[in-house]
Amino acid sequence: MATTEKLLKFKQPEKSYDVIIVGGGLHGLATAYYLARHHQVKRIAVLERRYIGFGGSGRNTEMVRSNKRAHETLPFYKESLAMWDGLSAELEWNLMVQKKGIIALAHSDPELAAMRMMSDSQRRAGIKIDMLSPEEIKKMVPSLDTSDRPALPVVGAQYHPEGGTVHHDAALWGYAKACGRLGVDICVGVEVTGIMIENGRATGVETSVGAISAGKVHAAVGGYSSEIGRMIGMKFPVQTIPMQVMTTEVMKPFLDYYVASPRLHFYTQQTLKGDLILGGPLDAFQSWNSYTTWEESADRAFKIVEYFPDLAHVRVVRSWSGLCDCTGDSAPVMGGCGIEGLSLDIAWGYYGFKSTPASGKYSAEYIATDRMPEKIKPFALDRFYNRQPVREIIL
Amino acid sequence: MAFLINCPNCGHRNPYEFTFGGERKQAPGQDADMKAWCEYLFFYENMPAFQDEWWFHTMGCGDWIKIRRNIATHEIVEE
Repeated sequence: MATTEKLLKFKQPEKSYDVIIVGGGLHGLATAYYLARHHQVKRIAVLERRYIGFGGSGRNTEMVRSNKRAHETLPFYKESLAMWDGLSAELEWNLMVQKKGIIALAHSDPELAAMRMMSDSQRRAGIKIDMLSPEEIKKMVPSLDTSDRPALPVVGAQYHPEGGTVHHDAALWGYAKACGRLGVDICVGVEVTGIMIENGRATGVETSVGAISAGKVHAAVGGYSSEIGRMIGMKFPVQTIPMQVMTTEVMKPFLDYYVASPRLHFYTQQTLKGDLILGGPLDAFQSWNSYTTWEESADRAFKIVEYFPDLAHVRVVRSWSGLCDCTGDSAPVMGGCGIEGLSLDIAWGYYGFKSTPASGKYSAEYIATDRMPEKIKPFALDRFYNRQPVREIIL
Repeated sequence: MAFLINCPNCGHRNPYEFTFGGERKQAPGQDADMKAWCEYLFFYENMPAFQDEWWFHTMGCGDWIKIRRNIATHEIVEE
């Protein structure tokens, strides 16, 4: 039966909590959800200075995949991808999970060889990966130009059948609603301005509505992570770089797969609504400004028309950008930072969306038990001091 | 967002002609410990404020230039 009750009520923060999560994006809400659900933490607050999903959670390209390279991180991404399957039922909210498959195009023989090598490490981790010939690609994506006409013709592809898309707003509201049901206080418009530290231990946060004490503080702040670093007198190994995305007018369904080109840095998918989402590389320079530029839009348009010539006169209706905090080794930073009671879930760059369920689960486990879970050990901040970055070679 | 970079050789040019060289950092001395070198290599100030940067004019004169830019507003101050 239809309900007239609000799905979720935003709250004003109280004076004290067991756990305070800074950042009301997907990662923060997922962490709050798993803390309340699996670890029975009672008093949790999620503090968000703008509105939930303002940052990367609302600005990504909805892609979920586990086709990374570094063997130590693959089990984490694999688990995250698998977790999306059961999430709609668990959160009682349709996340529109559509595992339609990702086709990553190769444009030269050396690139194809590198893809084969990558596929082998992914298969060893139990991830389903196939290699496709141009003829097979043409059968799956008839609108793709696999002829010799483009300057860099398609010579093969890697097919990741378990990859696909999840509706990001649905995921955000699914987690938010589930948090609300479990008694988590989600406070919007509350800006954290400082972190209170006594004798090397985090004891709470200073906010725009006064000080709030907490047993543990968790930072899941996306592209804005260096601001947390400034509050505790630390630098983080991240540079904030925007990524621009644009979307076209709505068309009849013609593209069944997510098509990407790692070499040319473009990727596209047709959403359930019918518009194409066009993504590309990170912007060319560091910036905290979520602008969009003619140069980047033209670049995306050029590449898409090169491989999908039929789209030449399709109109672009919107473009936007989100901030990505990128490390040098394409891996995030999770776990402690040397201050007791303060944990991090930052530096997710452009792969934060797909990692939401697993990062929430393991961040919650770290907060609740103070032990670093095995699967996120490679993501510890120490790796940069021990000169052991994650050996990730691809995007 | 538009901003131009004043190249000392080529004048005011579109930033997409350049390759971003990142934050200008102070290299630790020869006898500095490994921790200082790791910080120099991997860690960044990355604040939404003015920072000193390197840019390389790839599609221009081919020189490395220094600018001071606000990475939140893209305002550039001459040095």
